[in-house]
Amino acid sequence: MRYDSVTEAIGNTPLVRIDPAVHGLRTIDLYAKLEMLNPFGSVKDRPAWHMARPHLEGAAGGDGTVVELSSGNTAKALALLAGLHGLRFKSVTNRMRVPEIKELLLLLGAEIEELPGRSECLDPTDTDDPLTHFHRALSDPGSTYLHTDQYFNPRNVEAHAAGTGPEIVKDLDGRAPDWFVACVGTAGSSTGVARVLREHDPQVRVLGLVADKSDFIPGIRTIDEVHQVGLFDPATYDAIEPVTSGEAIDGMITLIRRCGLLSGPTGGAAYQGAVRHLRRIDSEVERSEGPGRRRTAVFIVCDRAESYLSYVRQRRPELLGRAARGQVAAALTDAEARAEARVIGVDDARRWTAQGDPRPLVVDLRSPHAYAALHIEGSVNIVDELFEELVRGGLPFDKRTPVLLACPVGEKSLRHAALLTRMGHPDVRSLAGGIVAWRDAGAPLVRA
Amino acid sequence: MDVPLYLRPRVEPPLASLLGAVPFLHSLVDALGSPLNVLLPEAVAENARRFRSVYRRHRLAGRVYFAHKANRSSALVRRLAAEDPAAVGVDVASLEELRHALSCGFTGDRIMATGPKDPEFLWLAARVGATVNLDSPGELERLAGLVRGYGLGRVDVLVRLSGFESAAGHGGAGTRLLSRRSRFGTPVRDAPALVSALERHADAVELTGAAYHLDTTGVEEKVRALEQCVLFMDECRARGFAPRAVDIGGGFGVGYVDDAGEWERWTTALSEAVLGGRPPLTWRGHGYGLRNEGGTVRGAAALYPGHRPTAGPGYLDELLSLPAPVLGRPPATLLLEHLHDLYVEPGRSLVDQCGLSLARVRDVRPAGEEPGRYLVRLGMNAGDVSLEEHGVLVDPVLLPRGGPEEEPGKGEEGPVGVFLVGNLCLEADLITRRLVFLPRLPRAGDLLAFANTAGYAMDFHAHHAQRQPVARTVAVEERGGSWRWCPDEDYWPITHPGGTPA
Repeated sequence: MRYDSVTEAIGNTPLVRIDPAVHGLRTIDLYAKLEMLNPFGSVKDRPAWHMARPHLEGAAGGDGTVVELSSGNTAKALALLAGLHGLRFKSVTNRMRVPEIKELLLLLGAEIEELPGRSECLDPTDTDDPLTHFHRALSDPGSTYLHTDQYFNPRNVEAHAAGTGPEIVKDLDGRAPDWFVACVGTAGSSTGVARVLREHDPQVRVLGLVADKSDFIPGIRTIDEVHQVGLFDPATYDAIEPVTSGEAIDGMITLIRRCGLLSGPTGGAAYQGAVRHLRRIDSEVERSEGPGRRRTAVFIVCDRAESYLSYVRQRRPELLGRAARGQVAAALTDAEARAEARVIGVDDARRWTAQGDPRPLVVDLRSPHAYAALHIEGSVNIVDELFEELVRGGLPFDKRTPVLLACPVGEKSLRHAALLTRMGHPDVRSLAGGIVAWRDAGAPLVRA
Repeated sequence: MDVPLYLRPRVEPPLASLLGAVPFLHSLVDALGSPLNVLLPEAVAENARRFRSVYRRHRLAGRVYFAHKANRSSALVRRLAAEDPAAVGVDVASLEELRHALSCGFTGDRIMATGPKDPEFLWLAARVGATVNLDSPGELERLAGLVRGYGLGRVDVLVRLSGFESAAGHGGAGTRLLSRRSRFGTPVRDAPALVSALERHADAVELTGAAYHLDTTGVEEKVRALEQCVLFMDECRARGFAPRAVDIGGGFGVGYVDDAGEWERWTTALSEAVLGGRPPLTWRGHGYGLRNEGGTVRGAAALYPGHRPTAGPGYLDELLSLPAPVLGRPPATLLLEHLHDLYVEPGRSLVDQCGLSLARVRDVRPAGEEPGRYLVRLGMNAGDVSLEEHGVLVDPVLLPRGGPEEEPGKGEEGPVGVFLVGNLCLEADLITRRLVFLPRLPRAGDLLAFANTAGYAMDFHAHHAQRQPVARTVAVEERGGSWRWCPDEDYWPITHPGGTPA
């Protein structure tokens, strides 16, 4: 397929049937709408382009800045679209909660403005939220901000009413599905798709999924937060149900490992929420009707997995577990470290470093910045993380060179001294009490 | 009747057992009047130990300074004065707080003077060898002038920094973390001029460290500020100073509500009520800052986060463990590696679980237009327990008067929604604007106990308007299964309340 602009590649995403052996529903066919295959990687490509297009085409090449409250996929799509039109993009957000996405946005050339946290010493008369200031800045005369306003902009809904919804109907041979399941973020996709499907068949049931209140799932709002969304109308949904981040990750793992769909946690939440909801109906239908007309349900796979590794690591580290390789100081128990390491007190260490024959190599395991600020004269700095990497590969010192290891309080150096001794080094000692004890004893420290 | 939306308080052992001593609390109020503040001095010492254990876990040295402004009591300050001098200090923000700390047994070297300072405050702080937490370059000039003019010794000073978001070159290209602006401290961008002034006044003051205090619950903002202080300390070292402490202020928070689910149900219901989807939860539909604009909730709820899974020492632990944005290592490691001591100034969180406020129920009557709702008038006013003032929402505990007429099963029992109104002849005098659910309707003579008020909610806003009595304060201690008390002003760490049994 040949295009003049990547924006033409937005939309027309595949609808893929999930193998019934995976979801176990007996009377319902479940389809995934693969919005992650949009060119910028998510369902947000559609509304981003539809909302930004009038701004961009008017302002292309000027000095405007596209601005949006987004910490995720909308920001990503808008950053690329703005760049494509020679404009800047600024994302204003409460908090970037997924570090990879933040880095990705910076890579895309976005500017990020993070709003302050809640006040600890509250002034209840100050009910101005940071967003009020944001809107004030936008309406400043002379402002060159182009605000796409995804939570209130009807073009967000239209993008799905004109694209996502009709595509689903077309791919189901002109029929609307019996259920449509969507995670509620801006409410754009659920509202737009639901509108189209209901025009086809008023019987369509729409399930909206929100994040469990004390939980966080990227791209999904909690039940309280949806009330702050201008596009959100409770009447759109036949049911609104919460999902947890645990369910989102479970769903994501099923889609990835059993369906070949490289979904992120939002798609995982949609899958898991859909199956949980439909399973109840499935068993009732089977009991009351027996095998009759097969029904269909559609959910959206919003984006891909790669940007959420830290999200998974935080919640399910075992999914990303790596087998340890080589020698690791952390594998030593405290007792082993104490039993096997040689330690040396500050006074002896001072004599050793001044008069030893040969004199020991002093290795300072603190970070370069701390080392630069103050260190033992003549020492070399190998920060602990780097030191661990070196030691994995084998002894990094000649066995004929005695080594004095120093860290802040003599804990890490003790472990490393034990490990190096275990690896066959005959004379490694740990500075007892570390650099702190050295300083407290009045021993000299120098700057780089 | 709708499901009662309780926000029951989190109460831990000593406070929980005090709340169980109902006859004792009634007898205190009978003797000393309503309102009455009750403090547990042993609990504040235990909290200090919890903060210290976080220090130990991270191998950090330095002091925990109690932010005196959280509570005026003598008992709490005297109890803390008895703790290890190297571990516990006090942070004073006025001349009178300084005098009080000295009179409670704190020596000058354990005192940190913060906030805006009058010359008298500065002079006394310098005279007794307190550390002065410098608010501005002007204050440095005044302090140096006093030291020279009155022949005082060299004064230890910390530089309070602010405005970290504008610190150039460290934010990482393209991202800006905004922070609420503070009126206090010297903006980081003006710090070089301040350092030059410190060099000029080296005969009068000695720079011992850098400080910040950010009014935010956001850990990331604080990590960034802490790291900026470490970088600033390094610049100071390069210019020949020998600073050794980073003072990260307070703001570690308290969890007031015990159950996360209750807090979540209530806040969700508030949004729904603001949208008109359910009856109001508050006096005259007050939205606590939320408003309904065309069916969408706008604004931010001006509420203290009532349920906090990590607060106090746990919050400090988290703060010390997050990676810092520039140097990449967690703050605890940064401090340790740079050989810096850590100072903290907790107020609210250090007096967590350290006391309660009691009020006698004076009158109970139906709340006019709202069927099933009652007005409960208390022998206190909103100034005596300033929960509303700080956006803290939590239920009081009902302590029945007891007596023959109160047999179980008698009368209409079951949860009831009440508005708690104060003793002032003033429409606005509500203890809280929230509709409070109690397990049953109180009767005149019962007590309501507001748990965990020692931090800012006990005497911070108390006043003499309409010549209503201000609460007396007592210190209590449980010994051998019975509770003993003494007036706050008579408490000393060696004379146990109620006297030492022979």
